[in-house]
Amino acid sequence: MSTNSLRNRLIKLIAPLYPMAKRWLYHFHGGVFPQYNKSLSLRQPLRSGFMPKQLILPLQQHMGIPAVPCVQIGDRVKKYQLIAQADKGLSVPVHAPTSGTIIALDQRVLPHASGLAEPCIVIAPDGKDDALTNPLNLQQPPQTIAEFKQLLLNAGIVGMGGAGFPTFAKLPNQPGLVQHLIINGAECEPFITCDDVLMQTHADDIIRAALFIADLFAIPHVVCGIETNKPEAIKAMRQACQGSNIEVVEVATVYPMGGQKQLTQELVNIEIPTQKHSVDVGVVMMNVATLRAITQAIDLGQPLVSRFVTVSGMGLTQPFNIDALLGTPFNELVELAQPQPKLDYPLLMGGPMMGFAVAQNDVPVIKTTNCVLANPPQEMQDPMACIRCGECAEACPINLLPQQLYWHAKAHEFEKAEQLNLFDCIECGCCSFVCPSRIPLVQYYRHAKAEVRELKAQAALTEQAKQRHDARIARLEREKQEREAKMAAKKAAVKQQAEDAENTVKPNNEDNAPMSARDKAIQAAKARQQAIKTQAEQPVVDKRQAAMEAAKARIAAKKAAETTTEPTTRPGAEQTTTELTVEDKRKAAMEAAKARAAAKKATETTSEPTTRPDAEQTTTELTVEDKRKAAMEAAKARAAAKKQQDSSP
Amino acid sequence: MSIVAGLLIFFALAVVFGLLLGYAAVRFKIEGNPLAELIDKKLPQTQCGQCGYPGCKPYAEALAKGEAEVNLCIPGGEPTMLEIAEILQVEPKPMDAEATAPKPRMVAVIDEDICIGCVLCIKACPVDAIVGTTKMMHTVIEKECTGCELCVPVCPVDCIDMVIEKTSLKNWKWPEPTVAAETQK
Amino acid sequence: MKFSSSPFAHNNSSVQKVMLQVQLAAFPALLAHIMLFGYGIVIQWFLAVATALLVEYVMLKLRDRPALPNITDFSALITVTGLVFCIPPESPWWVIVSGSAFALVFGKHLYGGLGYNPFNPAMLGYAFLLISFPAEMTQWTLPKEIAGYGLSFWDSFNHIIFGALPHAPIDSFTGATPLSAVKTGIQEGVSANQMLQAPYLDSGLFHITAWGWINVAFLIGGAWLMYTRTIRWQFPVGFLASLALMAWIFHSINPDLYAPVSFHLLFGGTMLAAFFIITDPVSSSTTPMGRLIYAAGIGILVYVIRNWGAFPDGIAFAVILMNIAVPLIDRYTQPRVVGH
Repeated sequence: MSTNSLRNRLIKLIAPLYPMAKRWLYHFHGGVFPQYNKSLSLRQPLRSGFMPKQLILPLQQHMGIPAVPCVQIGDRVKKYQLIAQADKGLSVPVHAPTSGTIIALDQRVLPHASGLAEPCIVIAPDGKDDALTNPLNLQQPPQTIAEFKQLLLNAGIVGMGGAGFPTFAKLPNQPGLVQHLIINGAECEPFITCDDVLMQTHADDIIRAALFIADLFAIPHVVCGIETNKPEAIKAMRQACQGSNIEVVEVATVYPMGGQKQLTQELVNIEIPTQKHSVDVGVVMMNVATLRAITQAIDLGQPLVSRFVTVSGMGLTQPFNIDALLGTPFNELVELAQPQPKLDYPLLMGGPMMGFAVAQNDVPVIKTTNCVLANPPQEMQDPMACIRCGECAEACPINLLPQQLYWHAKAHEFEKAEQLNLFDCIECGCCSFVCPSRIPLVQYYRHAKAEVRELKAQAALTEQAKQRHDARIARLEREKQEREAKMAAKKAAVKQQAEDAENTVKPNNEDNAPMSARDKAIQAAKARQQAIKTQAEQPVVDKRQAAMEAAKARIAAKKAAETTTEPTTRPGAEQTTTELTVEDKRKAAMEAAKARAAAKKATETTSEPTTRPDAEQTTTELTVEDKRKAAMEAAKARAAAKKQQDSSP
Repeated sequence: MSIVAGLLIFFALAVVFGLLLGYAAVRFKIEGNPLAELIDKKLPQTQCGQCGYPGCKPYAEALAKGEAEVNLCIPGGEPTMLEIAEILQVEPKPMDAEATAPKPRMVAVIDEDICIGCVLCIKACPVDAIVGTTKMMHTVIEKECTGCELCVPVCPVDCIDMVIEKTSLKNWKWPEPTVAAETQK
Repeated sequence: MKFSSSPFAHNNSSVQKVMLQVQLAAFPALLAHIMLFGYGIVIQWFLAVATALLVEYVMLKLRDRPALPNITDFSALITVTGLVFCIPPESPWWVIVSGSAFALVFGKHLYGGLGYNPFNPAMLGYAFLLISFPAEMTQWTLPKEIAGYGLSFWDSFNHIIFGALPHAPIDSFTGATPLSAVKTGIQEGVSANQMLQAPYLDSGLFHITAWGWINVAFLIGGAWLMYTRTIRWQFPVGFLASLALMAWIFHSINPDLYAPVSFHLLFGGTMLAAFFIITDPVSSSTTPMGRLIYAAGIGILVYVIRNWGAFPDGIAFAVILMNIAVPLIDRYTQPRVVGH
């Protein structure tokens, strides 16, 4: 398929008259042609070396499980130094992008649609940019797949096109399973040019990594797809490919050409089956930025600490591309591009089609940040009723029926939406883009997906609760029966014994006669009581003293902010085996409650009540200490009360 | 003559359909009590016993037999009541004022520093979601807790709190879009 | 916190633009209508729009919805425009007023407003008129060239509003529609071909009657709508193809009893239906395959009703019948999703 075939030239001739003719230029369904505005950020040269005042590094910059920090506040770190290790499972480490001091380990707002704050490591750069030599401890390029995957993991490399899936987990464990390696240089989102610039400047790096992977995994076919609107990049990549069998293919400029499913369909004519990964059908796709990061890891042993970011938008007078350190706050980048008007609106991360508005403009660049977009908000028309025009279905690259999905999502008929293949939706936004009623379709689908996931989790939970309840009932029944059986056996045995005794010895002399089982039991109980009494013959503490003890506990709790003594024994351990009377229990509980209330009061001045213990964060340590102390005192008081009770009869 | 023919035809039809119905009744007979199963599926399975029955299944069975009111399930709230009424084909009954809306999912959390290891909560938990043993501190298996609150009142040292799950990246949900203009007032 | 989700870009389309595009595309037909049948249609159109505005406002108030963004969606305009083209241009004012009101109240608002109506409101209104006022609905104004007399604007106005007769013999300006005439003729034993050679059906430019030219005007407007992608191509293609096929088959079997293809395509509301009525997205099928089936079904039903039904033209009933089948069609014509 050549872009210059007669058919394609004809279509391009028709296109000015009938713009939708452009849909005949590619193989997947639907697609839209937004205003690209790519030239904005290409007018300025690539910037690099910008050092922000601080770098904020979220522990989770990828899909999966957050990394675990391995530095302390105050630690000095060097560039490339490991600052957070990969957790078990789907997780990648985080490295220091420059040298400096760790100044905070706390919750910062993430560049995420939710606007939630999650744990981050904050580095104050010292400006020296001292780097570790060979930070990944690489002696030679990896020879085996296992070594390579370990290197990818150690280097913290994730898919840099947007999804952020850890790259090591994407690759198979043995060679020969992959037939096609697709280099994704399509970059179909409007405004974004970082991949374009990367291909122009680092084509060799990209190709080297691709060849390395193709060699290691024995991939016969390597193809690179670049949209026709990037002629410079195509030229650079073709040049870099000379002498290799990598094919650089110009693909039509259409959104969402860069989507995994779409580009796969376009370049190798394979549809990725629903609910499956592309590797299952022998396709691995890698973004050009990811490949460059891989080259840096295998050639230089460098982990991923920076990436190309497009800083663009209608609100900037000098948009540009920058080789930015991870952790650079968005607003500092945007200020470099001279925003006009003032930056008093939320920035977008990513392009206008799939990006999201950030909750705060000082969120950091992370591994998946390809673009920081400053588009001043426009007057948005309110959504109107759906007129079922079907434009959305025409535009959907997955060939879904967005309008019917919307209908069910809006009516909260999530099961029906799922039947209409809701989960095949790639949230590309084509449907919302063309909707004349301006319905936020994608958000409906995102909400519906979340609801379906929650419903499923809830159903699983309900089922589990049912099973556990049934199991418990069965267990209780069994225990009851066992107990009854034991009792019956005992009874039978005692009866037998008594009968035996009656039969062998005549009950003439009562003192000499063997005691009946009941008498024995009575005797034993008496003996036990005696023993308890002797034990209890110690200084008697009366009720008033117990109360005083509790008061002391309160005072102690108030002081607890200063004191740091550890409790010597666990409160629970002081509980005696003899059973407390109900009255004792209540008393003790009351005392304990009082003590706890006092302890709570002691910290109330500094902490407000929160819903969850771990949310108390700053005051938790103190509170725990207070509580422990109070509980100790309370337990003491209880023990005292019990002793008093024991000795009084 | 024609009257006789008509009668005969209708008689024949009656016989045929009667046989068909009879066959269907035998062939498609449903074992067990499907009503109780159906209701049990709609109940929240917190096993809290607030309905006065020892668990969700017994309540469902009582409902199926027509022995229980439809508005007793507090955790399920009004939606569950309406579903039960729908299944049983009876008039919905209003819930108590506080129970009309289902509460957000809550889980019990034991303050391990206060817990005295009395095992009372373990005995109270209908789904065995609390682990621990005498004199050792107890803890709630969060993902198995149904939020029934049965453990809260039995705790002698009042160390069990019901908490709402914190929103994190794992359980964050896209909010539903605000309602379109045409349905706004 | 107010959330807004991606995409943050839009292609600038809007419901208003879609509706106005349709209105614009009806202009060639409107002009042809004025040229061939006089100004009656203009008066009817203004009556219909006034009725629509009033009904929309009152219904929105009654339904407790804001008037402003909803009236200006122009959907009512399209509904009544469709209806205006269906009724005889000189029919009394209460015909179009009651028809428009019925279409909007019972066809749209009672179902929950724009986007929720299962039936095509214009066709519901038309069916209502056909059943309620059968006499008024079949007496069509004769083209100027046949009547030899064109009504002036004031003649039409007086006739429509006050029922005043123009200064001309009544029979000379109204007569049966061609569909009705042919139907009656065939029932009386005249062959279809003979009927079509009657002077009043074999007049006009290039032997295309006034009714034919109106249909051509609709075709032009419809082509524009297809080009701007305001309507889906499956509707006119499915409808015209099935109607033409039916006509061809039966005309081949018995040319005396069944009129030729050209007759069916160029008389009655064929082109109006093909491009302006059945293309109403709200009440039609939404899957690509479903649209073809839906349109073809209407074509077949139209032919059936025209030949064997009680009414000379069957578009209203054909559309409403197929509207009923839409949920079923949609259910069984879902396109294959990528990866399935």
